[in-house]
Amino acid sequence: MTSTDHPEDRNLLGHVLLPVANDEDALATAQALEPYGPERVTALHVVEKGEGVPDKTPVEQSEELAAQSYDAVRTVFPDADDHTAYARDVVGAIFDSVDEVGATAIAYQSRGGNRLVQFLSGDLSMKLVTKSHVPVIALPREESTE
Amino acid sequence: MSDEELAKDLGPLAALTIGIGTMIGAGIFVLPGTAVARAGPLAAFTFVLGGVIALFTALSASELGTAMPKSGGAYFYVNRALGPMFGSVAGWANWLGLAFASAFYMYGFGEYVNALVGLGPVGLGPVTLEAAQVIGLAGALLFIAVNYFGAKETGGLQIVIVMSLLGILAVFTVVGLLNADMESLRPIAPPGTTSQVLPVTGIIFVSYLGFVQITSVAEEIKDPGRNLPLAVLGSVVIVTVVYALFLVVLLAAVPNELVANNETAVVDAARLLFGNYQVFGFSLGAVGAGMLLIGGLLATASSANASILSSSRINFAMGREKIVTPKLNEIHDRFGTPYKSIALTGALILVFLVAGGVESLSTMGSVLHLIVYGLLNLALIVMRESEVEGYDPDFEVPFYPFVPIIGTLSSFALIAYIEPTIILISFGLVAFAVLWYLLYARGKVEARGVLGAWILDRSDELPKAAVSAATSVQPSGDDYRVMVPLANPATEEHLITLASAIAKQRNGTVVAVNIANVPDQTSLEAARDRGAHEAAHDLLDKAREDAETFGVDVETHVVLSHRVFEEVFDAARTYGADITVMGWGEDSHGSPGRAETAVDELAHSLPSDFLVFRDRGFDPSRILVPTAGGPASDLSGAVAKMLQTEFDGEVTLLHVADDEAAGRRFLMGWAAEHDLADATLRVESGDIEASIDRAAQDATMLIIGATQKGLLSRLVSGSLVLQVLEDVECSVLLAEKRDDRGIWARLFGSGARANVKGDGVSPATEEDDSGAVSEQLRGDGGVTDAEVDE
Repeated sequence: MTSTDHPEDRNLLGHVLLPVANDEDALATAQALEPYGPERVTALHVVEKGEGVPDKTPVEQSEELAAQSYDAVRTVFPDADDHTAYARDVVGAIFDSVDEVGATAIAYQSRGGNRLVQFLSGDLSMKLVTKSHVPVIALPREESTE
Repeated sequence: MSDEELAKDLGPLAALTIGIGTMIGAGIFVLPGTAVARAGPLAAFTFVLGGVIALFTALSASELGTAMPKSGGAYFYVNRALGPMFGSVAGWANWLGLAFASAFYMYGFGEYVNALVGLGPVGLGPVTLEAAQVIGLAGALLFIAVNYFGAKETGGLQIVIVMSLLGILAVFTVVGLLNADMESLRPIAPPGTTSQVLPVTGIIFVSYLGFVQITSVAEEIKDPGRNLPLAVLGSVVIVTVVYALFLVVLLAAVPNELVANNETAVVDAARLLFGNYQVFGFSLGAVGAGMLLIGGLLATASSANASILSSSRINFAMGREKIVTPKLNEIHDRFGTPYKSIALTGALILVFLVAGGVESLSTMGSVLHLIVYGLLNLALIVMRESEVEGYDPDFEVPFYPFVPIIGTLSSFALIAYIEPTIILISFGLVAFAVLWYLLYARGKVEARGVLGAWILDRSDELPKAAVSAATSVQPSGDDYRVMVPLANPATEEHLITLASAIAKQRNGTVVAVNIANVPDQTSLEAARDRGAHEAAHDLLDKAREDAETFGVDVETHVVLSHRVFEEVFDAARTYGADITVMGWGEDSHGSPGRAETAVDELAHSLPSDFLVFRDRGFDPSRILVPTAGGPASDLSGAVAKMLQTEFDGEVTLLHVADDEAAGRRFLMGWAAEHDLADATLRVESGDIEASIDRAAQDATMLIIGATQKGLLSRLVSGSLVLQVLEDVECSVLLAEKRDDRGIWARLFGSGARANVKGDGVSPATEEDDSGAVSEQLRGDGGVTDAEVDE
């Protein structure tokens, strides 16, 4: 399952890794993915670590947030697996998680906002789509449809 | 690697730099001016004294940190050990103390920036602000924003900052040493300075606030058992030595007058000292001054930055225990930061910065932290003495109990030497924190402190005043507490099953209490020594197991008492029971004391709802609830509903009325109101006792509500003979509602009489005559007309 070379694993939606930040984001992302009927879904939450400095939020709170996010994903995909990573480099952790869970693609939803907000919140879209070694699916945002 | 391991990413050096980086800020760069002006060369000694006081607390903090590596640090330990009232004090003091300290760091930051740009005071509407304040405000906004948006500071940067600070101070010390003139240290104690030593120590103590911040990120530290004490103690020792050397050299190398009352004294000192050297004809004075200037900026900035983050950790921990609303700690959906907490702390910093001067800000920060440190040392003593299960620190304080006792005394004593106005404001804040707990948080907090439990478990040997004080400040949060006094192993299982079912339905906790009877001749202390506790453990262990099969939280306590029956009421009060489930039978709890009036009085102001179980087997499959409406039957209705849901039983409602149609209408309404619409309705006319008796033949459990106060007391004192309760073959649950006591009564009065009066129960209904008995029975199966209007 971990190799993407086998033809049967070439199914784009065979095993989708769904990086989610919080319960709202998780719900919106899962709902956006649902119409495409993925075979298998693993929700991923990366706990952002300081690696040398204290984290922005206590670990306890971060793990709570992860659990809430997984619950939100499961309201859409009841059988979804979950995976928690701890890293300073969030995108790097997403790529590592792809290999760890054997995902066929990463599906994410850009969280919008103007450039300033994207800059301040460290928006990861660019890095995610340019550096990935598996297909990255950018899910449509609800307000973008007419 | 487990998740827990992955979350730990702070190595020993990182942990150490958090401590040093937070501490080595304003203290050494801003305060020498004030300290030297007041204490002369003894200023160096005040920094050593401050360091020694901090070291005692650092030892205690290390032990507590390795035992409980949880977010929140000092606040968390105090809350856990001394209970939420002191927790509230420690939390607020720690939080506000950090805000005051941050304002002070920013003031210092402003001084340093202003040393570069040289502005005059600025008029801002009605207030005139010093240039340092204005710059400080801008700086504070910057660091609040950094934390609000969660800009990532790299671990490497933190280490670089701390290392360059230490480097700058070291270079200065070496250069100073080369130019030192021991004469300028004389007289070491000019007239009037010795009396200033302690007050100045109070002011400069703000330089020693960082080490506790290490414990607040304890859950992120690798191998905390080793690295946490290393970082906490190491940072205090290193910082103390650096401060002391630096000051001695500073005062030996430059005239005292240059330092006194100069807030950027070290910069001027550096200009003077480095000015003695030339490289290719250029004087190094400017280089030295620039170096120290950068040092001051880095130091104040890193202290403020670290303090803002720390205060959000304290908020988180306070929110976790519901001392403040958990909403304060919501995470921003884009920035991933606790933005509300940071914004609020930021606002406080800005206000304090406008309102206070350097000295008042630093002393406020010091005093509030000294309060926290004193409490922290006490927390250590409580954790050790109470022998709490699971308290197993990797690092243990040496010379216990002397270290925490000295730590407590020195922390509190130092407060006495601080300016009276500051003390007054600080105690105002402490009073505010206590009131905050009593008026706001007490109803929300659920977790209890170790100290409170310890006192309550010894309620009969400790002075009454202590017990009642401990009782009245116990938290009363939304946790629904079902207390079960256990005495007889034969009835334990059924009582616990009943209690667990209720606790499960209400998402609550089962509090199993064994009240061990101790003969009057034996002192409770002697009984304790003889292992009366151990004897009770088997019973309580069994109770715990049984309750855990329901998946509810369980708490167990042993109470030694000379008066078993009365103790049930006391225990309900002390353990904050919402409902008490007790057995009633030949030997459930012994007979009450001979003084029946006393029992009467107790049972008249019920501290919780009571369910008295006459055990003839636990089988809730067919439940019979006779009702005549009114608030009294609400409890029996609620209990019936809970048992029905939990055990999937059938409920039959019985109402006795002369007019059957009216009776049925009433019963349908009542059933709907109590969520029992699926119950079988049974309306009969005629004699109530006979109707109950008849209906009970088909039932496995009879739940009967007491419509009048005192039913319970009469029941247990044997003066009430409800023949039907003896006649029926099924088990009987008798339900009586609590008396609602106002906060005033809970705080200041435990007198039952006052409550009876307050409840408006007329003395006539308390009489034990046969008339009252039939009245009570009518109440539970009674005529519609008389009761429905209630």
